Amino acid sequence: MDLRAGDSWGMLACLCTVLWHLPAVPALNRTGDPGPGPSIQKTYDLTRYLEHQLRSLAGTYLNYLGPPFNEPDFNPPRLGAESLPRATVNLEVWRSLNDKLRLTQNYEAYSHLLCYLRGLNRQAATAELRRSLAHFCTSLQGLLGSIAGVMAALGYPLPQPLPGTEPAWAPGPAHSDFLQKMDDFWLLKELQTWLWRSAKDFNRLKKKIQPPAAAVTLRLEAHGF
Amino acid sequence: MAAPVPWACCAVLAAATAVVYTQKHSPQEAPHVQYERLGSDVTLPCGTANWDAAVTWRVNGTDLAPDLLNGSQLVLHGLELGHSGLYACFHRDSWHLHHQVLLHVGLPPREPVLSCRSNTYPKGFYCSWHLPTPTYIPNTFNVTVLHGSKMMVCEKDPALKNRCHIRYMHLFSTIKYKVSISVSNALGHNATAITFDEFTIVKPDPPENVVARPVPSNPRRLEVTWQTPSTWPDPESFPLKFFLRYRPLILDQWQHVELSDGTAHTITDAYAGKEYIIQVAAKDNEIGTWSDWSVAAHATPWTEEPRHLTTEAQAPETTTSTTSSLAPPPTTKICDPGELGSGGGPLVPFLISVPVTLALAAAAATASSLLI
Repeated sequence: MDLRAGDSWGMLACLCTVLWHLPAVPALNRTGDPGPGPSIQKTYDLTRYLEHQLRSLAGTYLNYLGPPFNEPDFNPPRLGAESLPRATVNLEVWRSLNDKLRLTQNYEAYSHLLCYLRGLNRQAATAELRRSLAHFCTSLQGLLGSIAGVMAALGYPLPQPLPGTEPAWAPGPAHSDFLQKMDDFWLLKELQTWLWRSAKDFNRLKKKIQPPAAAVTLRLEAHGF
Repeated sequence: MAAPVPWACCAVLAAATAVVYTQKHSPQEAPHVQYERLGSDVTLPCGTANWDAAVTWRVNGTDLAPDLLNGSQLVLHGLELGHSGLYACFHRDSWHLHHQVLLHVGLPPREPVLSCRSNTYPKGFYCSWHLPTPTYIPNTFNVTVLHGSKMMVCEKDPALKNRCHIRYMHLFSTIKYKVSISVSNALGHNATAITFDEFTIVKPDPPENVVARPVPSNPRRLEVTWQTPSTWPDPESFPLKFFLRYRPLILDQWQHVELSDGTAHTITDAYAGKEYIIQVAAKDNEIGTWSDWSVAAHATPWTEEPRHLTTEAQAPETTTSTTSSLAPPPTTKICDPGELGSGGGPLVPFLISVPVTLALAAAAATASSLLI
C-alpha cells in the first residue's frame, strides 16, 4: 500500500485501509463457534507478542533519535502529542468499564496508533528501521483484526470514524525537528503502555467470559492421581 | 567533745549541705544543647564567666582533669562518641553551678538510600529509606512525590518510621514518578531522588502458606500448595504467575518450574525417600519483577512402611509386594552406597541381599504400575 507524502491525505488513506481489511477477519471464526473465549486468548497472546517486539523496536528507534531520547532517565513533560490516545485512566473507571466500552477503547486506540506508526515509517532514515517498523505495523494490524473479531463474536458494532475527525498528526510545516522527535518518543511510550493495559484488559475479559473452562481443568486434575 | 558543739556542727553541716545540694542540682538555666562533629575539636566556654575565672568542669557528675582547661574553657580534642554527655562547670570555691552543656557527638548525614516498590498493585506503592551510615544524632526526613507536575501525598506508615505510602489515582500512566527525599540534622543535610515508571516497581510479596505433602502410594511425588500473597489486592484482574523451585536437601542444584496459573503443583520426579526443600515466588503476569522466595516448605515423599526383619532365616518369606528398605527402589536415579539405610528402616546386613533381590524384581513390577 503506497501512502502519499501529505499527512492528512495519508491519514485518511490509512484509516480507509485499516477499516476495509477488517471484514475479512471475523469470517474465519464461523466453523464450530467455540465462543469468543479462544479469540480473547489469542488477542491477549498478541498483545504480549507485540509488547515483546516493541521493546527491541523502541530501543533501536530511540537510539536512532539519539540523546536525550535514548537515555533511561529521560523524563520530559507531556507537551504536544495531544491527539495520541492515552492509556491512562482512573482506577475505578477502568475497573467498572463494561465489556463493550473496554473493547471499543482498545480498538480505537490501536487504530489511531497504527496510523501514527505508519507516518513514522515514512520518515525513518535507515532501511532496517523501515523494515522493523513495517513488520510491527503488520503485527499491530493483526491485533486490530483480532480485537474486531472478539467484538463481532460478542455482537458489538465496530466503531466508525466520524467524518472530519481523522487524527491530525503533524500540525504543520512549522513543527521543529526536536518537537517531531518528542512526538515520536511519546508515540512509542503510549504504544508500550497501551500494550500493557490491553494485556490487563483482555485478562479481565477472559475471566468474565470464560469461567466454564476452569471447571473442566479441575476435573482432569482429580483423576490424574 | 563538748555536747553543744556536735549539735551546732550538725545543724550547720546540714544547712550547708542543703544549700550546696540545691545549688548543685537546681540548674540556673536549662542545659544548652550542642551538636559537634565526630573527630573535631571543640571549646566549651563556661557560660558568661570570665576567661580567668576559677572553675571546675564535670561530665555526667565526674570531675575532669584541669589540664583540659584553657582558662575557664573546656577544650576537647578529637571528639569521640564517648564524649557525648552532660558537661557542667562550677565556680571552684563556691561550687555554684554556672553553666551546663548537653553535648551530642555525631555526623552530618550521608546521601540516603531510597527505594520504592508496589506490592499492592494497582492500589499503590510505598517508598522506604535509610542512611548508609549512622549519624548518632536525631535526623528528620522529608519525602516528596511528583507525578509529572502534580504533587502526591505520601502517608506515613503507622508502624515503620522510614516508610510512607502513595495511592495510585490513575493507572497505565506514561509519565514517570519522581520521589525525592531530603534528610537533615544539626550538623548538615543531604538529599537524593529516584524516577521510575509505574510498571517497573511492581514486585509482589512472596506466596504464603507454602505446604508440601507426600502423596500416598507415590514414592516419587510431592504435592505443593500455596496461596497468593494477602497483600496483593486483586488477583482476579491482576493475576499472578508462580515460580517453584525444589531440591533434595542433600543436593545443591535446584529444579525449577514456572506456572502460569493455579496455586498447586505436583512434583513427579522426586528422589524416593529424600527430604525436599521447596520454595515459591510470585510475579504479576505481565509487569514488574519476581517476589522474594517464600518461606521454605519441607517434605519427604511417601515411602512404604518397612517390614520388620528379625533374623536372616525369615527374610526369604517376604511377599512379592514388599519392598525392602535396605536397597533403593529400582526407579531411583541415584544409586550410591551412602543411600543404604537412609530410608529410615532398620539396618540389615548385606548377607540377605540375594534372596531380597527376587522380592525386589516383583516389587518393581508392582511399583511401576502404581506410578502412572
